[in-house]
Amino acid sequence: MNNEPASDRFVDPTPTDWNSAEMQARIRKRYASERRFKFLGLTAVVASAAFLAFLLLVMLGNGIGGFSQTRIALPIDFETAPIGLDPDLIRSGSGEAALAGADFRGLVDYAATEAYGPGADAWFSGGAWEIVRARIAADPDILLGKATFDLPAASDIDVANKGDGGAVSERAVADLERRGVISKSFNSAFLTGGDATDPALAGIWGALKGSLLTMAVTLALAFPIGVLASLYLEEYAPQNRWTDIIEVSINNLAAVPSIIFGLLALAVFINFFGMPTSSPLVGGLTLALMTMPVIVIAGRNAIKSVPPSIRDAALGVGASRVQVVFHHVLPLALPGILTGTIIGMARALGETAPLLLIGMRAFIADPPAGLSDAATVLPMQIFLWSDEVDKGFVEKTSAAIIVLLVVLLTMNALAVYFRNRFEKRW
Amino acid sequence: MTISGPALLFLVLGLGLVGWLTGRARARAFATSQGRQALHSLPSYHGWYVALWAIVPPLVFLAVWTALSPGLVTEAVLSTPAAQGLPADGFSRSAILGEARSIALGQLDAGFNPQAQAFVAPYREAMAHYSMLGAVAALLLLFAGWAFGYTRLKANFRARTRVERVVMALLLIASLIAILTTIGIVLSLVFESARFFGMVSPIAFLTGTNWNPSSGNVDPDLFGAIPLFWGTILIGAIIAMLVAIPLGLMSAIYLTQYAHSNVRAWMKPILEILAGVPTVVYGYFAALTVAPALRDFAVMIGIPQASSESAMAAGIVMGVMIIPFVSSMADDSINAVPQSMRDGSLAMGSTKSETIKQVILPAALPGVVGGVLLAVSRAIGETMIVVMAAGLSANMTANPFASVTTVTAQIVKLLTGDQEFDSAKTLAAFALGLVLFIVTLLLNIVALRVVKKYREAYE
Amino acid sequence: MSTDTSDAVSATGSPNAKMTARDVSVFYGDKQAINSVSIDVDRDNVTAFIGPSGCGKSTFLRTLNRMNDTIPSARVEGEIKLDGEDIYASAMDVVQLRARVGMVFQKPNPFPKSIYDNVAYGPKIHGLADNKGEMDTIVERSLKRAGLWEEVKDRLTDSGTALSGGQQQRLCIARAIAVDPEVILMDEPCSALDPIATAKIEELIHELRGRYAIVIVTHNMQQAARVSQRTAFFHLGTLVEYGLTTDIFTNPRETRTKDYITGRYG
Repeated sequence: MNNEPASDRFVDPTPTDWNSAEMQARIRKRYASERRFKFLGLTAVVASAAFLAFLLLVMLGNGIGGFSQTRIALPIDFETAPIGLDPDLIRSGSGEAALAGADFRGLVDYAATEAYGPGADAWFSGGAWEIVRARIAADPDILLGKATFDLPAASDIDVANKGDGGAVSERAVADLERRGVISKSFNSAFLTGGDATDPALAGIWGALKGSLLTMAVTLALAFPIGVLASLYLEEYAPQNRWTDIIEVSINNLAAVPSIIFGLLALAVFINFFGMPTSSPLVGGLTLALMTMPVIVIAGRNAIKSVPPSIRDAALGVGASRVQVVFHHVLPLALPGILTGTIIGMARALGETAPLLLIGMRAFIADPPAGLSDAATVLPMQIFLWSDEVDKGFVEKTSAAIIVLLVVLLTMNALAVYFRNRFEKRW
Repeated sequence: MTISGPALLFLVLGLGLVGWLTGRARARAFATSQGRQALHSLPSYHGWYVALWAIVPPLVFLAVWTALSPGLVTEAVLSTPAAQGLPADGFSRSAILGEARSIALGQLDAGFNPQAQAFVAPYREAMAHYSMLGAVAALLLLFAGWAFGYTRLKANFRARTRVERVVMALLLIASLIAILTTIGIVLSLVFESARFFGMVSPIAFLTGTNWNPSSGNVDPDLFGAIPLFWGTILIGAIIAMLVAIPLGLMSAIYLTQYAHSNVRAWMKPILEILAGVPTVVYGYFAALTVAPALRDFAVMIGIPQASSESAMAAGIVMGVMIIPFVSSMADDSINAVPQSMRDGSLAMGSTKSETIKQVILPAALPGVVGGVLLAVSRAIGETMIVVMAAGLSANMTANPFASVTTVTAQIVKLLTGDQEFDSAKTLAAFALGLVLFIVTLLLNIVALRVVKKYREAYE
Repeated sequence: MSTDTSDAVSATGSPNAKMTARDVSVFYGDKQAINSVSIDVDRDNVTAFIGPSGCGKSTFLRTLNRMNDTIPSARVEGEIKLDGEDIYASAMDVVQLRARVGMVFQKPNPFPKSIYDNVAYGPKIHGLADNKGEMDTIVERSLKRAGLWEEVKDRLTDSGTALSGGQQQRLCIARAIAVDPEVILMDEPCSALDPIATAKIEELIHELRGRYAIVIVTHNMQQAARVSQRTAFFHLGTLVEYGLTTDIFTNPRETRTKDYITGRYG
């Protein structure tokens, strides 16, 4: 080890003078660089968070108006109005036909012109007449006199009233305000109505229901299959080629772009099996295939974390392997599996691309009644509205985004709660 | 009389429960007559055995029946005399039939289409007929199954073994679905692509620089996908990564190395929200807010061809979406670097940032690289942001403020709207899908291998 | 063996002290790990800290170059001076302190870089070499001093992690020497090594003695007896006894020390 002469090994330059000016300057430079680096890191975190805040604020700012609706009071004098209905006729057997045949649209236009002058018929939403019809059907006696209806305003009036409209609409709003007949109220129709071409009438219930049905199918398929597959892989699968293939498949499926699942669904479910396009059934199936690997991966981690001692204990008292798993392992792993499931479902709920390919981008005015009806989902509704030129749809789109984000954040919060509440450390 | 689907399902399950009870009762009877010890399995397993025999055959039958019967119903309706008057073209024909069906099901009060009314009665009739038929067949199967199971029971019958065998089969089937899905993806992509490549040569597709597919045209010069690949790389692998890698990596460094634990506990979930926001929301945000701002900026500094749909807008927003992904991968890799290495550097008098830059990051590099590869694979497969913000014009341009298109955006474009399934235009989408699938698969395999090797190095 | 010929050595008040610790207590959160330890570290001698595991000897060692700062919950009370300068004073720069008080860890922890870069790392960050030639000199000198030069001089570009455990530990010592420290702290430097590698390290410690003040924490009493001239016995976070190594091992004053040395516990 030491064949060199000792002198060589102990020749040394002068010891470092840590207090020299040069050294001090160097240290200051190093600390400055340290501060810069730390600041850079902080900037990255703040920038990312700021982007999120900006996105949420923009959506909130644009969307909050979507939850309110401008209404205009419209007095109708049925004695002079051209409607040709009377209470007895409506109560008679042919009442429905009479209501169906009557020109309510014309009635609203007439009354609007009468009340607010020519051109005022355009101030009312294209669907305002349905409200008039519904009220007459419920209470035919109002046909005998005068009545005032609080009707939704047309989209451009609505936008103007919220402070962003064209000059003509702004004047109309000013006129209506002078008369004191314009009001703003919570837009319950937005949460309970279906899609419409008129932004003043468009609602998200149709899409929300489509989402619910789709998610029901997804959950019903992905959860049991995911849980059973993860049990098999963790507890029973022999170490062989087949098991490897299954594992590789699952890991890859979790990373395959979602749109590929859309291609699969289009080629197999729709073109090969002839399942109904645009239906929650096919949508749910597609998303189930996407969600299943997520659940399997979460499930396997949860099952893995159940200590082997529990299995040994159960086997020791003579339980069969199936009993061990279903009586002991599964209940202990369930919180972890549920957390993974909620996260997977949240992802599926926000998914749009694969559903585009199976035709769920249709215009759906009526909420779907069953799994095979044409339907759309909430993210798709957002996509469809984002393409609309009508300014009224901007706030509707953002409002729908707010609803979607609230649902998703709730789901994620629930998952975090589950994880914290039930997570066991062994 | 008709039985609705759910009602029938509940009936079958209810009768299954009855089967379970009868099976268990029979086993208990054995126990009382021949003694507890004579019984091989618990009475409830006998119950399960009978119940499985009772409900599985009818459920399988009903699943098949539900898939088949709408076709049968439509056929029956079309064979009625009223069907002669239907218009020949498919769209109005199915509109009328669909409306009639809705009225028959009670979902619609009255049709807009006067012709529909004529089909309501035939629809009702046919549906009632087939649903009755299905219900009767299902119930017959149920009783047959129950009888079979019930008669097989005896005291030393190994009911538990049989039931557990069914459970095991179920588990195996469930895990095979993953393979089936993979096979389904590969087969459908390969088959449809093969048909496409029968019309357009793969070489023209993979090397052509002009992308302009139109229906009924199989000119290979219109199917050059290079501009799409370029757009995908420009947005997903370049711009998005230029945003995501520095921000994600620096966030991870700050949160793991500098931030107080309280700050970390709050900021990590907040950053993860970025990954939970649906892509359609990002797309809308990009199109509504980011893209116009970028275009104005580009016009201001005099960049030509600035468009309100730009690679830049889509790429930046996509990059933000990927931040939490990169940062969590980086986080894992940095945490995997042994503490002793960090101590070794600090003990020599290096500052934290010197330790990070010169010791931790080089050591964590393979893990970070793997994470970035996974992020790229995710970015190039992302669809909604590019559909909404990048545009659909296939430009070969390095100008990030110009509109470009990507593989995913073109898949959507080709497969939505009017389509005939056999046209080259439609099939091209599957060829694009195949390319996307192969590329993302390779990226994932390489990335996972790199990450795995890296983890092993420090275990 | 000892440079100090007086019969008894007290823990404090040595005229030859490089570092002095007075009433040092260390807390991890609410838990006290070290209770009021006062000790001097001699300039020219090797000081060994011995004691059963968990007695706080490593914790105390880490206070000497403020490595405890890296543990957020750790808190140090009392006073530690290096050449009369309080190392916990706000004027003391921790980066410089650690360059002056180097450390070698229990497990060899070379950076995943080349052998050359491992040794050059410290001089590079502290700016001790103006050019490549100077750096080469520093690297060669450090490796020679650590007794590793002959074994690695032909493969300086190989990764440091490719060396054997004993070589890795000597590389870590070379790395510490390269910044020309005044004190070297060694935290059980041989516990992960085989006997032959251990012997080499011990020989190395002998050679380094006199140039650097050396503090070594060890589990192994024979090792303490072999390499050190001063020994401090720690138990349950307190300093039980301090003295000449020969005295401690042949004629301990405290029964606890005696019990430990004779193997009654630990």
